[in-house]
Amino acid sequence: MLKFIAMKLGLALLVALTVSFISFSLLYMAGDPAISMAGEGASAEVIAAVRQQYGFDRPLLVQYFDWLMRALSGDFGISYYFKTPVSAMVAERLPVTMTIGALGMGFALCLAIPTGVLAAAFPNTWVDRMALGIAVVGQAIPSFWFGLILIVIFSVNLGLVPASGTRSWTGYILPMIVLGYYATPAIMRLTRAGMLDVLSADYIRTARAKGLHWGSVLFKHALRNAIIPVVSLAAVQLGFMFGGSVVVESIFALHGAGFLAWESISRNDLPTMQALILIFSMFYIGFTLLADILNAWLDPRLRAG
Amino acid sequence: MKLASVFATILLPACLASSLAYAGKADDVLNIAFSRELEHVDPYYNTAREGILLGAAVWDALLYRDPKTGTYVGNLATAWTWIDTTTLELTLRQGVKFHNGEAFDADDVVFTLNYVVDAKNGNKSQTNTNWIKSAEKVDSFKVRIHTNGPFPAALEYLAGPIIIQPNEYYTAVGQQGVATKPIGTGPYRMESVEPGKHFVLKRNPDYFAAAKPKATIETIDIRTVPDANTQMAELFNGEIDLVWGVPADQADKMAKMGKFQVVNAPTMRVGYLSLDAAGRTGAKNPMTDLRVRQAVNYAVNRQGIVDALMKGTSAVINSACSPVQFGCEQAVMTYAYDPAKAKALLAEAGYPNGFSLDFYAYRDRPLAEAMIGMLAEVGITAKLNYMQYSALREKRIKDGTPISFMTWGSNSISDVSAVTSAFFRMGGEDDARDPAVAALLEKGDGSVDADERKAAYSKALTTIADKAYWVPLWIYSSNYVMGADVSFTPTPDELIRFYDISWK
Amino acid sequence: MSDIPMNHAAPASKIVSPSRVLTAKALRHRSFMLGFCVVGTVALVALLAPWLAPYDPYKQDLLARMARPVFMGGEWKHILGTDALGRDYLSRMIYGARVSLMIGFVAAMISAVIGTTLGILGGFFGGKVDAVVMFIVSVRLALPATLVALAVVALFGGSLTVVVLVLGFLLWDRFAVVMRSATMQVRQMDYIAAAEVLGASVARILWKDVLPNVLNALIVIITLEMAHAIILEAALSFLGLGVQPPTPSWGLMISEGKEMLLFESWLITIPGLALFVLLLAINILGDGIRDITAPEGRN
Repeated sequence: MLKFIAMKLGLALLVALTVSFISFSLLYMAGDPAISMAGEGASAEVIAAVRQQYGFDRPLLVQYFDWLMRALSGDFGISYYFKTPVSAMVAERLPVTMTIGALGMGFALCLAIPTGVLAAAFPNTWVDRMALGIAVVGQAIPSFWFGLILIVIFSVNLGLVPASGTRSWTGYILPMIVLGYYATPAIMRLTRAGMLDVLSADYIRTARAKGLHWGSVLFKHALRNAIIPVVSLAAVQLGFMFGGSVVVESIFALHGAGFLAWESISRNDLPTMQALILIFSMFYIGFTLLADILNAWLDPRLRAG
Repeated sequence: MKLASVFATILLPACLASSLAYAGKADDVLNIAFSRELEHVDPYYNTAREGILLGAAVWDALLYRDPKTGTYVGNLATAWTWIDTTTLELTLRQGVKFHNGEAFDADDVVFTLNYVVDAKNGNKSQTNTNWIKSAEKVDSFKVRIHTNGPFPAALEYLAGPIIIQPNEYYTAVGQQGVATKPIGTGPYRMESVEPGKHFVLKRNPDYFAAAKPKATIETIDIRTVPDANTQMAELFNGEIDLVWGVPADQADKMAKMGKFQVVNAPTMRVGYLSLDAAGRTGAKNPMTDLRVRQAVNYAVNRQGIVDALMKGTSAVINSACSPVQFGCEQAVMTYAYDPAKAKALLAEAGYPNGFSLDFYAYRDRPLAEAMIGMLAEVGITAKLNYMQYSALREKRIKDGTPISFMTWGSNSISDVSAVTSAFFRMGGEDDARDPAVAALLEKGDGSVDADERKAAYSKALTTIADKAYWVPLWIYSSNYVMGADVSFTPTPDELIRFYDISWK
Repeated sequence: MSDIPMNHAAPASKIVSPSRVLTAKALRHRSFMLGFCVVGTVALVALLAPWLAPYDPYKQDLLARMARPVFMGGEWKHILGTDALGRDYLSRMIYGARVSLMIGFVAAMISAVIGTTLGILGGFFGGKVDAVVMFIVSVRLALPATLVALAVVALFGGSLTVVVLVLGFLLWDRFAVVMRSATMQVRQMDYIAAAEVLGASVARILWKDVLPNVLNALIVIITLEMAHAIILEAALSFLGLGVQPPTPSWGLMISEGKEMLLFESWLITIPGLALFVLLLAINILGDGIRDITAPEGRN
């Protein structure tokens, strides 16, 4: 088990390193930040001075290693746009993204697991079809459109929740639904498939034959086994969600890391972008690693591969 | 809910807009929405309109221009006089205190001015300060400002964007410290800053109130709400009391609802198309041909766009400046909408079938699209490249663009030097690169004689129009939407003076 | 996964030709047929756009802005009304179908080529090759797709080509994963071993024996990724970094209509619904194909 974890960890680190290099060099090509930093009406000399002061004239690899070393110690430099340390700014905004991510995942699980279980319990009935409907709609509905429609209905017409911001907890409801619904189909399908497999297994039939309550068989015995792959899928989806929160945050004016990332892209704010892409990747890598380890722990057969 | 009403809800939501509850007046908090993230609260480190507003609320400038009369009055300075054409001496007000208790004196002025003119410190709005050479302390309440050559518009800048920082505090915390805890002398003090997203201003009860009045509203709560719809939705819910820059269509609808005050006021912001006459994007660029530039001028139906899309007090302009600015010559060549003439000119220039080129823009996408449609009518296929302002500016400085739809608010400086000179004096964004125009503008900017300045600017602007370097488009107006109990009268300079706002 | 029980109709013998069996299964599969018809209709509309569209989708009329659609009391002149520049909404929808479908299809094809190549190589050779393939897939998955797409489009400008390429190069991960495991299964079959023994070249085995066997899985993924590409393009356009106006794309139309969301929200409801229906149909189609081509007894 330790060896397995060590191997996975090493691989994750290698992936992280590659990702950081890709994101760094991608943004390295993004044009000359010195011009926008030098300010309005700056002369060529000033621009050249800025370029030198920030070291934009050095080779890519040198800049990358310099950046990486500082990033490892938590120093992502100073935002070109806000002129404040990137790490402090990201630390301030990440909680918003993490909150809606976690809430969204909670919403997705609450919606997906019961419907998935019921769909598997009553396959090919209207229950199953409704569950499938939820899944298919979830896959097909563009989240930005869904978000706007929800604002129109619940915020403007019914006045139930605020349209934006996070001044009260109600501001989190709509983003939670939009982000969570996006992750629902995959989780639901996996729950249903896993449950179908488990339900056809002998011990479940035995349990039913012994006259155990159907509900307790479903949720206590069957779900416990079917949930293993779902947990790891959920971990991976959570990683995706953080990266995908850009759209949701921009619609609901949530000042989280996703919105910051989007704004930083259009503002050529390289240090912020580099930090955010790296952090979002790290979340994904971390969650996948966690899922792998969890899986291996729950299912020893996986440790070999 | 019946199906029909569900559809009505989704298709025409605002007919059902919920009841209004103004939280603002009861707890004396005015809620305001900014549309974009302000990069830095220090006015010297941003180029945004929002930054100017905060600058006027939290800090003071040496002078103040009365928005009603247009005359300069003393603010942090009490008297000023030109000792010679490049030296301005100012007597400072005594007894003024910064929000942290630091006393205001000549050291603050000298520090601030010398700090911002030093390129090392990265002041972002250099056009505001690059006329200053240095500042010098005469005694505790007397300073001299030395300019780089004669600069008649100096007072306008000293009354506007040039605000005074506390020297001791600023030196102690540095620019990064100011980013989260700025200190000024103004009618409001900054209670809290969450960079880019949330600013809370509290009334400064000890304000010296010489030129600007004491504030009346206790708290101004400013949040960044980038999405215009979300702003509207929050207005409906009474969570925002004041927004501006509301697009004309929305403002019309809001006005019809009868629950808000919707006011349209002109601004100093001009819209223009900058044409690559100098051939910076390639010597073969069609825009280097005068006839093509004139054709573009004739092709754009500016009046049609103003009437249909902009409305209010927006108006077509013909000169490369805002008509209210000093020296903005109005008697220049005008190009009325005439697509047939545009086509003829294009044919004459050797493009009977038109040509295609890249069209750059950074705001007002519908206006850009409308112009692109009009260019298509005369055979010019313009491909829209929509970028953020900073990115587009970078591109324009570095490589130039064949045609860009730009706007400029002149930092509310009511002088041609703040607009025409900013773009036609061989700077990074000068697409004309006409030495004759640059020389004329230089003469206008450097002279202290008003008539001489006017004459030079007039010649420059006439040439710009004759050579069709720009397509001067329109001056913008701004729609202010306010809750029913907010009392505020917008001014034409687009400066929202928070201290002038009160409750009804 | 299907809402229709279909494992009772298993063909008993191999005498009936497989394509006829598939056709028969497809015809009986209701949701597949529904998806097929909708996608087919949209594709047809997209192909015939110049003949179907009542107006030039770029022709603006500033005096007839935001005319309401017929079902909201508008005139028959503009069945779906006009947009903020007075352009006929129906014509823009019709041309928009072209853009959305084209982007989805080309992007899915690019990612299919990349992902399938990687997946088959990894699945067939195993060992180190597989490890490298899985590593590349992990790196790709770790990159936040939306952010990277936004960054690249912001960097190179939002032309149709850039958008298609970015999406194509970002969405191949599922192809690689599925193709890899499908290839692994095929690899273990006897006839592959036989071909190897007979001395067939690796390229030939991959092309002649492996690819046809994983084709079913491939088609399913292509449909799903097409939906994925369309939705991502719409999201990019919505954020203003996708296809540039005046080119009509449904995502862009939602973005443009968003301005009047609170007052004339049919402007976003119409393209939004169209997008939703198209994506729904593509997804149903993909699910249907999976059902129809799945080995008997499993769904």
